[in-house]
Amino acid sequence: MVDRLAAELVPLRALALSLLTLAAAITAAVVSPETLLDQEALASGLALIPALLLAHHRRWSVVSTLLGVGLVALTIVHLAPPLFGVSPEVPIPTMFVVAPYIAVVLSAGWLGEVRRYQAELKATQLQLIQSDKLDSIGRMTAGIAHEVKNPLMMILVGTKILSKRLVNADDTTRQILQDMSDAVARADRIIGGLLSYSRDGGLDLEPADLNATIETSLLFVKHELDKVQIAVVKDLDPSIPTLKLDGFKMQQVFINLLMNAIHAIGQDGDIRVSSSVQTLAAGRGVGYRRTDRYVPGERVAVIRIEDSGPGIPEEHLSKLFDPFFTTKPVGRGTGLGLAVCRQIVEMHRGSIEVGNREGRGAQATVILRLEHPEDDYEKATDSARG
Amino acid sequence: MRKRRILLVDDEVAIARALAMYLTENGDCEVCVENAGSAALAAARQFRPDLILLDIVMPDADGGTLAAQMKAEPVLKHTHIVFLTALVSRNATGGGSKTIGGLPFLAKPVDPDAVLEYIDQHVVVRG
Ligand SMILES: Nc1ncnc2c1ncn2[C@@H]1O[C@H](COP(=O)(O)OP(=O)(O)OP(=O)(O)O)[C@@H](O)[C@H]1O
Ligand SMILES: [Mg+2]
Repeated sequence: MVDRLAAELVPLRALALSLLTLAAAITAAVVSPETLLDQEALASGLALIPALLLAHHRRWSVVSTLLGVGLVALTIVHLAPPLFGVSPEVPIPTMFVVAPYIAVVLSAGWLGEVRRYQAELKATQLQLIQSDKLDSIGRMTAGIAHEVKNPLMMILVGTKILSKRLVNADDTTRQILQDMSDAVARADRIIGGLLSYSRDGGLDLEPADLNATIETSLLFVKHELDKVQIAVVKDLDPSIPTLKLDGFKMQQVFINLLMNAIHAIGQDGDIRVSSSVQTLAAGRGVGYRRTDRYVPGERVAVIRIEDSGPGIPEEHLSKLFDPFFTTKPVGRGTGLGLAVCRQIVEMHRGSIEVGNREGRGAQATVILRLEHPEDDYEKATDSARG
Repeated sequence: MRKRRILLVDDEVAIARALAMYLTENGDCEVCVENAGSAALAAARQFRPDLILLDIVMPDADGGTLAAQMKAEPVLKHTHIVFLTALVSRNATGGGSKTIGGLPFLAKPVDPDAVLEYIDQHVVVRG
């Protein structure tokens, strides 16, 4: 996510820096039109453009930095003679006009570099936190599963022995014994589910009914909803075609978003959950540029969860997906909810946004592709992971 | 027709005892229980079972290694071995078609009737 943002900023930044360089050269020329410096400065300024553009290319950053330094040195050499009074016809102030620009340009370049490393670091950190979180959940679940399954086995065999031995048992006793066996089966299913959720990394894609996934997620938060006066309005579009999903992971996304809505609302209010098929028109993130996520005319499933809570303060909007960003009291929220949601959705080559509704409350929007060329998945999975 | 001879190796004493009881009472089986993994090989040599139900994770032995050792013994070479383990989920067993190290497994918690069914399918007693 951070990566993508950085990638989008690169061309803009390069352009701005180049313009600045040019401006420096032109100013120099304007300030001292009578000197030979104008051409030299202009040439240096122009030469700096490719250098700076290159600077934004990871692999070339060392080369271009050297190139940039070389060019600056050249400029200074040209400025030096007047500085030392060797060519008195070149006015000294030119130096003071050009130098700050060059300094700004260079430091901007370096700053860009620093920022890029920062972005990379942050992305890696996020990845580490998540894989770490999943890892430890995975290890823990596997351990718990093993420890719990043995007692379950004991209960199951014991129940069966009792039901065989109690030949004269009345119906109620039989029912109770049957219920006990069923309870074991249920516990076993839950453990199985936990295991497949925490199973590391990749997606377990299967054709799925998106609306059914949403319904199951709602079931999971039913308990929370029942504790307070929150009404859920469902508006699920039955025409959504089957799409390939990792059902468990996608459920986790919806559960997280629903929990956020429930927490935001507090005691009473309402949540609207909707799904629909939409055809995207050109716009933000929809187009033919490399950075565009979707192409115009692409058909997608849009899932929206709206709440009647207080909404999100403007200054928090940019931080929502940061790992550990939370406004909830210690112990209530980890701040990982949305970060993990985004990772999962991006692994599915979709996108997620959280913002304010017009009027009151917040809304989360998940967009999932309906058509997906199979081979693109690995790429998406890789880039979503880092 | 003689009884089917089942060797049950599981360090969980209660489970082994209960399962042995169930198989004996309901399945026409003669069950030998061994709770110590380290003694399983000797028990198998002596008991000559038709089928071995083998736990994988045990404190003093590892079921996988044990199975390999048993398969290497001339007298046990043809004995049917099935893992009985809490390591995998039922839905991972794919209805008993999948294997661990080439051997079939039953995932705990498994219904003892399913164990009997398995024995019925895989043990044919002659004479
Ligand atoms: N529907 C919403 N309404 C208002 N604020 C929200 C909503 N959804 C998220 N937020 C804000 O975004 C923050 C981060 O959300 P996120 O789900 O990442 O973490 P969390 O909910 O605080 O913790 P966790 O999900 O780990 O329990 C929340 O603390 C909250 O301030
Ligand atoms: Mg949350």
